[in-house]
Amino acid sequence: MKALLLVTAGLLVLPLTAQKKNIWDRNAPLPYGFNVGDVFPTRALPSAVDGKPTSIASFRGKKVIVNVFASW
Amino acid sequence: MDVPVWHEATKELRRRGKVEVVAIVQDQHPDRDRLFLQWKQVDWPVLADPMNILNLETVPITIAVDESGIVQFTELPMSAAKTIEQTFVDQKYDRRDAPVVPKPDLRALARAPRRTAADAIAYGDAVAVWGGAGHVDEAIDAYRQAVRLDAQNAIGHFRLGCALRERYDCAARRSTDFQEAVAQWDRAVELEPNRYIYRRRSQQYGPRLEAPAALFDWIPTARAEVKARGETPLPLIVEPGESEFDSPAPNAVPLRKSSESDPQGRLRRDQGEFIAMETTVVPLAVKPGEQARVHATFRPNLERKAHWNNSVDPLTIWLNLPQGWSVDRAPIVIPNVAEEVSQETRSAQFQIRAPANAHAGQVKIGGYATYYVCEDVGGVCVYRRRDIEISMSIR
Repeated sequence: MKALLLVTAGLLVLPLTAQKKNIWDRNAPLPYGFNVGDVFPTRALPSAVDGKPTSIASFRGKKVIVNVFASW
Repeated sequence: MDVPVWHEATKELRRRGKVEVVAIVQDQHPDRDRLFLQWKQVDWPVLADPMNILNLETVPITIAVDESGIVQFTELPMSAAKTIEQTFVDQKYDRRDAPVVPKPDLRALARAPRRTAADAIAYGDAVAVWGGAGHVDEAIDAYRQAVRLDAQNAIGHFRLGCALRERYDCAARRSTDFQEAVAQWDRAVELEPNRYIYRRRSQQYGPRLEAPAALFDWIPTARAEVKARGETPLPLIVEPGESEFDSPAPNAVPLRKSSESDPQGRLRRDQGEFIAMETTVVPLAVKPGEQARVHATFRPNLERKAHWNNSVDPLTIWLNLPQGWSVDRAPIVIPNVAEEVSQETRSAQFQIRAPANAHAGQVKIGGYATYYVCEDVGGVCVYRRRDIEISMSIR
């Protein structure tokens, strides 16, 4: 019975663990602001067009998809 | 690259005002990202984070943020783009009054004592974003103070490197900025070897990797396609150099020992009256058998109205390599341009390889450039030699 319970617990836990496992096996967790439930960083960054400091908070009231990338 | 996928998936949703998409780019040269987005016809707002103020380890990363500024999904895979309307855009989330970082008071920050590296970095970041034109010197001073206060601070070293390279690319340039930037980036990688963004910054200017990933090979295609659409490609402040392209293939040019044109040193030296020269080695330290890339840049002295004479032999670099060292081409020639005279900055990149049995320690590699140059002040044309000394070390 004990063994059965352990196996069942393992089956329950396994898919959740697998889901959480990061594809690139990150050494450090994502910084605050990038995890579910965090406030996305609101400090301003310069606009790449005219250098004007702009915060993601200027989009409050709208849903925003933020794509952080580099062209390399 | 997931930008085109997200662009396609959100185009209609954006048109209907249901979602906004914002790009944050992590390039040292954010204007290249603007060209990329122009090429892909993506009109998202673009914010630049060349110093990695967001403190991310790697890119790309796509995050869904709700109306209150709360992250609802993180590390969204490209496959999530198809269903984003149902999974995120049409979802209702509780409204919250999430805090917003206020605009920094630069004056107060400038006066405030900076006791820790974090204090100094905070000032550097604030001035880098909010300081406006001429901010870069202050940002450099602040990051420099950060690494003085804590020599193990990888963030301070990385951002100092980025700020130095930023200054190198503008009129306030100091001839040592690029070399110092490389040293700071290398130190940041030593301290934080898992930071992909740190690692790639140094590699962007470094020796060709065994299996290089293309960095900016897309630029010529992008420009051609933008032009073909009848648009003008957005200009770049700094054109990518040889180290930033994937071709030619590694070691396509056989490594060989250099030759010399003035072994007896009879040519008159230019001490900068005509041409200012900078050399930068990336990385500054290699293991025996490894290669380093040398960037050599030559700028005509505009005060004397110095200009290249293009009707004669082109600028040529000759290296006097120590025993066992090799270079990927010899001599190194920077071709003349079509005009009879010109004043453009000329640059060359080449790779030097340390011998497999090199001993640890400092190495100085001598050489010189020869060129024909004219100037308007005295109205003379001369042939000059500019001595080069490359300093690096073997680990």
